[in-house]
Amino acid sequence: MMSDSPNTLSRRRAIQLLGLGGLAAAMPMTSWAQEVAGQHSLPAFTGPEANPYWNSVGPFVTYPQKDPLVLLTDRPVQLETPRHYFLDAFTPNSAFYVRWHLDEIPNDVDLGQWRLSIEGNVSNARKYSYSDLLARFKPVFVAAVNQCSGNSRSFFQPRVPGGQWGHGAMGNALWTGVRLKDLLNTAGLKGGSLAVQFQGLDQGKGPEGKGSHAFLKSLDFTNPVLDQAIVAYSMNGEPLPILNGFPVRLVVPGYFATYWMKGLSWIRVLDKPDDNFWMKTGYRIPDTPNGSTTPEAVKGGTVKTVPINVMPVRSFIISPDGSKKLPEKTPVTVRGIAFSGHGGITRVEFSADGAKTWKPAQLGEDHGPYSFRTWTFAWKPATPGTFELAVRATDASGATQSDVPVWNPGGYLWNVIERQKVVIGTIS
Amino acid sequence: MRRKYSLPVLTAIMLVVTALAAAAIAVAQQDRGYYTPHNSGEIRQTAPAKPVNGATYSAESFPLYPPELDAGEGREAVASNCSTCHSTRYITMQPPLPAAAWEAEVNKMINAFGLDVPPETKPVIIHYLQTHYTPETRKH
Repeated sequence: MMSDSPNTLSRRRAIQLLGLGGLAAAMPMTSWAQEVAGQHSLPAFTGPEANPYWNSVGPFVTYPQKDPLVLLTDRPVQLETPRHYFLDAFTPNSAFYVRWHLDEIPNDVDLGQWRLSIEGNVSNARKYSYSDLLARFKPVFVAAVNQCSGNSRSFFQPRVPGGQWGHGAMGNALWTGVRLKDLLNTAGLKGGSLAVQFQGLDQGKGPEGKGSHAFLKSLDFTNPVLDQAIVAYSMNGEPLPILNGFPVRLVVPGYFATYWMKGLSWIRVLDKPDDNFWMKTGYRIPDTPNGSTTPEAVKGGTVKTVPINVMPVRSFIISPDGSKKLPEKTPVTVRGIAFSGHGGITRVEFSADGAKTWKPAQLGEDHGPYSFRTWTFAWKPATPGTFELAVRATDASGATQSDVPVWNPGGYLWNVIERQKVVIGTIS
Repeated sequence: MRRKYSLPVLTAIMLVVTALAAAAIAVAQQDRGYYTPHNSGEIRQTAPAKPVNGATYSAESFPLYPPELDAGEGREAVASNCSTCHSTRYITMQPPLPAAAWEAEVNKMINAFGLDVPPETKPVIIHYLQTHYTPETRKH
């Protein structure tokens, strides 16, 4: 009988090589071996500290028409896009994140029956079929980022309740469809029209009149974004996945995704303010310059709020992702994306010393002001050690990212300078 | 007393000894061929959609991944009431929240979202969440 070998790992390996792997499980493991095995899974939750990872910590799961994505919740469905998909300016439909509010999500849609209604304060209410949208209106397209209002909520300190997204509740696609204004103009707006309300195919089990029954969003007619909005039937040159809003969804370039109604089926012109839960209570941000406040002010009841709207400038390091040690003196192409709802990206800067000094990054192809903009930086770590990489973007409005994180009770508008620790090893 | 070994057993022992020696040398330089038994991450691939007649486009059914709520008094009340509108992953997904935050969440479900819960059940639900999902109490 072998005594307690100093190299238990090798003994296990030898046994596995002989096809007796089952025995290995019963044998003691070195701490090193346990650590390696443990690397395979993240913890089930994070907090009360900030989420230390880039994505949220849920397991990979598969859903119809989707690649394995990170599970937040299964009913209603909320799925996050893994980090590496953001190496490209366009996010594949099969990897595009998913966020529904109500649990009766359509499993199928009969395009022969489906209609898009334009109703409310109009002189000529309309019902358009899918083929009407294809044939009777001029197609337009836009590359635009769709980002959940609560993207990156798990990095808030103190933590706030809600979907505990990492950074992957966002995606960029080329959207093709019909101008919202073209549709509205055929219905004849009557005087006193204040806002246009949107409703999709999802329904909830809560009582009528409550936010748990219907998900409704609206935009004021004074808002110039209505001229940019389109009703999209194509996403990256394909029909939309059902979980992303087939047959059509509203695209509101530059705005947070809460307005991008999925399965859009009712466009309702309102002659009074929209006081439904999802406008009056949900998705509101403090009426402060950067949407930030404090838990004390919230407790004191002094925080005035407005509906969430345009996305502030953000940028991300996608690779290297810190998952492995890199050798010194070896070139590394640092890659990432940036975007803003305020007129596109004009500058991206990279830091390899924890945001102390900055150098300009190389911008990738410009797909328009609402798109992801890829960036790269040719980095050569000269010495071993732990480096704190950081990225900072500036948009066309002149706004740039801050090192001071926002805080608000909804967990919205996160856009602090992002960092990535990378371990560099010796080569001799 | 000598024990007799069959040929396969002797062969196996020799193989183990040889492999050990080889592995000891290998480990000094690099590790190679090391596998860990692990199956919890297995994900089955999605089958292609079945064709549906006419103009209907289908995503088929959405899978459920029910979480395991901590055992304890109130678990059934939480599971049955909270599951009316959403799965209990909405609970396990949260970071550990302070006791007051859980009470506020339950009040939000009742007042803002219209959850109809018997008056005697409300404190049971709040107590369960506070007993298992605060920074002081959360284990899983």
